[in-house]
Amino acid sequence: MSDEHRAVAASDIEAVAADLQSKFTFPEGALKVQRATRLWVEVDQGSFAEVFDHIVKNLGFSILCTITGLDLGTDLGLIYHLARDGGIMANVKTRVPKDQTMKSVTPYFAGAAIYESELEDLLGARIDGKPPGPRYPLPEDWPQGDHPLLKDWKPKTVPGEAKPSPEGEKGAASNG
Amino acid sequence: MSVFHRIVRWAQRKSPWILHFNTGACNACDIEIIAALTPRFDLERLGVQLKGTPRHCDIMACSGPVTRQVKDRLVRIYEQVPEPKLVVAVGTCATSGGVFNGLYNVMGGIDQAIKVDAYIPGCPASPQAIIDGFAKLIKSLEMSPQPRTTAASVTTEMSPTAQGTVPAVTAEEKK
Amino acid sequence: MADSDRVVTVPIGPQHPALKEPESFMVDLRGEKIDAVRMRFGYNHRGIEKGCEQRSYTQDLYLVERVCGICSYSHSTAFVQAVEEIAGLELPRRARYIRTLIAELERIHSHLLWLGVAGHEIGFDTLLMYTWRDREQVMILLARLTGNRVNYGMNTLGGVRRDIAPEMLPEILKVVDSLEERTKSYIELAQTEQTLIQRLSHVGKLSKEDALRLGTVGPTARASGVDRDVRRDDPYAAYSDVSFKVVTADQCDVYGRTVVRLGELMETYSIIRQIVKNMPDGPIAIKAPRRIPEGEAVSRYEAPRGEDVHYVRGNGSEKPERVKVRAPTLANFSSVSKMLEDGYLADLPIVIAAIDPCFSCTDRMVSLRDGVSKDSRTMTWEEVSRMGIRWHRDRGLDFSGLRIRGGAGA
Repeated sequence: MSDEHRAVAASDIEAVAADLQSKFTFPEGALKVQRATRLWVEVDQGSFAEVFDHIVKNLGFSILCTITGLDLGTDLGLIYHLARDGGIMANVKTRVPKDQTMKSVTPYFAGAAIYESELEDLLGARIDGKPPGPRYPLPEDWPQGDHPLLKDWKPKTVPGEAKPSPEGEKGAASNG
Repeated sequence: MSVFHRIVRWAQRKSPWILHFNTGACNACDIEIIAALTPRFDLERLGVQLKGTPRHCDIMACSGPVTRQVKDRLVRIYEQVPEPKLVVAVGTCATSGGVFNGLYNVMGGIDQAIKVDAYIPGCPASPQAIIDGFAKLIKSLEMSPQPRTTAASVTTEMSPTAQGTVPAVTAEEKK
Repeated sequence: MADSDRVVTVPIGPQHPALKEPESFMVDLRGEKIDAVRMRFGYNHRGIEKGCEQRSYTQDLYLVERVCGICSYSHSTAFVQAVEEIAGLELPRRARYIRTLIAELERIHSHLLWLGVAGHEIGFDTLLMYTWRDREQVMILLARLTGNRVNYGMNTLGGVRRDIAPEMLPEILKVVDSLEERTKSYIELAQTEQTLIQRLSHVGKLSKEDALRLGTVGPTARASGVDRDVRRDDPYAAYSDVSFKVVTADQCDVYGRTVVRLGELMETYSIIRQIVKNMPDGPIAIKAPRRIPEGEAVSRYEAPRGEDVHYVRGNGSEKPERVKVRAPTLANFSSVSKMLEDGYLADLPIVIAAIDPCFSCTDRMVSLRDGVSKDSRTMTWEEVSRMGIRWHRDRGLDFSGLRIRGGAGA
């Protein structure tokens, strides 16, 4: 960025961080300014709704870039990648036990439905309040309860189908 | 060969009609197929035309890897193409699944679903390679006495252009 | 007239619904007008994110590059930037300039491609031939610079893999000069040709309010007056070092999307000239570790279609823990229905083409359901497209004979 732009963004992000510190209590290391346009904040499930609402409604983060889901073992990790005009991102992280439901953020972002569909299809997230629609991205006839992005997921072969070559061996054989 | 088959063979040689089927992968090969029809390459001067319906096509040009959800449709469209028909796998993904081979939703190349007569590798297959491939295929039709056969021996030459084209191979040579 | 216009009398194509192929577009009609459209994406879901976890970062460079065959460099760069951030790598300036150069050359080929596709969708195949002929200049240049027309393999962790030879710099400028002249003639066409203006105006309307509400990105959003561009707002590569305008328009329709892309081409020529003029000396890459530390980063990139977002998490090994890709077309998914609402079915193809979708439309099935007559039909995309061209031709908008200035021998 130009020095001027960087200075503006830097002071912007410090202001955002300061505001969050003043409104909420975060454990050590939960709030991080990674660089002039990247802020990360990790919150527990209980505080998520309030923090998210504040960041979106009061701090002007009106862009939801996407939602990343991660398999953390017993929990699902979720990162809501928010942004606002001027270039700063606020990445809000939380985690939820795999069998627990979480609330849809479509009341804030109509476009979130497709990102939440991805979480449901690929990681088995349970999302309450998402508007109905076709599944995404897996095909209609993909079995229910089968979530490929989970770490312990193994591809199944359907009788009569060619077996995909094992990824592990393939990776080792070719030059890294 | 019967008179009927000779006429059909002549029509195929002079002006093969192509049905383009893409599995929807990255689309780079599809764009190169269309590019092959635009002025710099002008595949149409060889009499090749893209036609939308399986009923009227002689050659199926398939691009992209076979994914689970596309396989059935690929097979059904193949069944709708009347004999004699030929299938060309355009691009490395259509040949073998390419870089996507091994991903959970990818079954491999086009020949996982249907019989392929010619393979045009490349990622993407360049318009030069595509033209080279179709020219070789059409030539191999001239040399073959039966409709719908794998080609007799066709020499593989390096394309004269210097832009990284890879020679097309027929199904025989691939084995 | 009304009966022969009704879509429901067009014969069904050979791909009958019995094919079990899920329709990509489900259109609810009221006669000739669209009530609502539901789109089904995921047709080309391959499992790339999972594949990334199973392969090394270097292998993933080649996998991610192939998410999309038009903006392959966008995905490659967005990915590698995130990894470089986790690893704390500071790229040499020359590497950042070369990345910017390739990125902008990609934008040229993509926008010219789009112009041609848009022309094709409205029955203006001459435009397709001209723009794709012009586009070849960029394709040849990219092949000379990188070794391939698409999927350049230019990025490595820590920089780029190939240098730009000094004798190539004037060649780049020659292509830019030539394409700038060609683009001016397309701009003139868009500004003066009444049939074109009529055909594309008030079609696919998306208000600024809706664009913002639905998270629309790229030229589609900018044509609705949304002043956002990642190159300016959250610069990467060498964009802090160049000056350019973010092109917006107020028409909020397909015409606006056309005008924005043409304007962006002109800005891109200016950016490339600045990059070439100020290309710094020095190395093109720094050494990068094979194992990427624990950490995470989000990378944003202004692809030709709009904002591309990549999230990467490292776990200290040679393979990433997680890679998430949000391509621009996905962000524009929810705005498509809005754009089509209350429009004519005959405009569906050009409206969808105008968001420059990162999937090939041509093989898509369209299901039509008329709320009034209760008829339903399945058509191929091509059939809907041809129907739309016929419909407009019947209303005096015929592009088959339209000429473009400066074509012959240019």
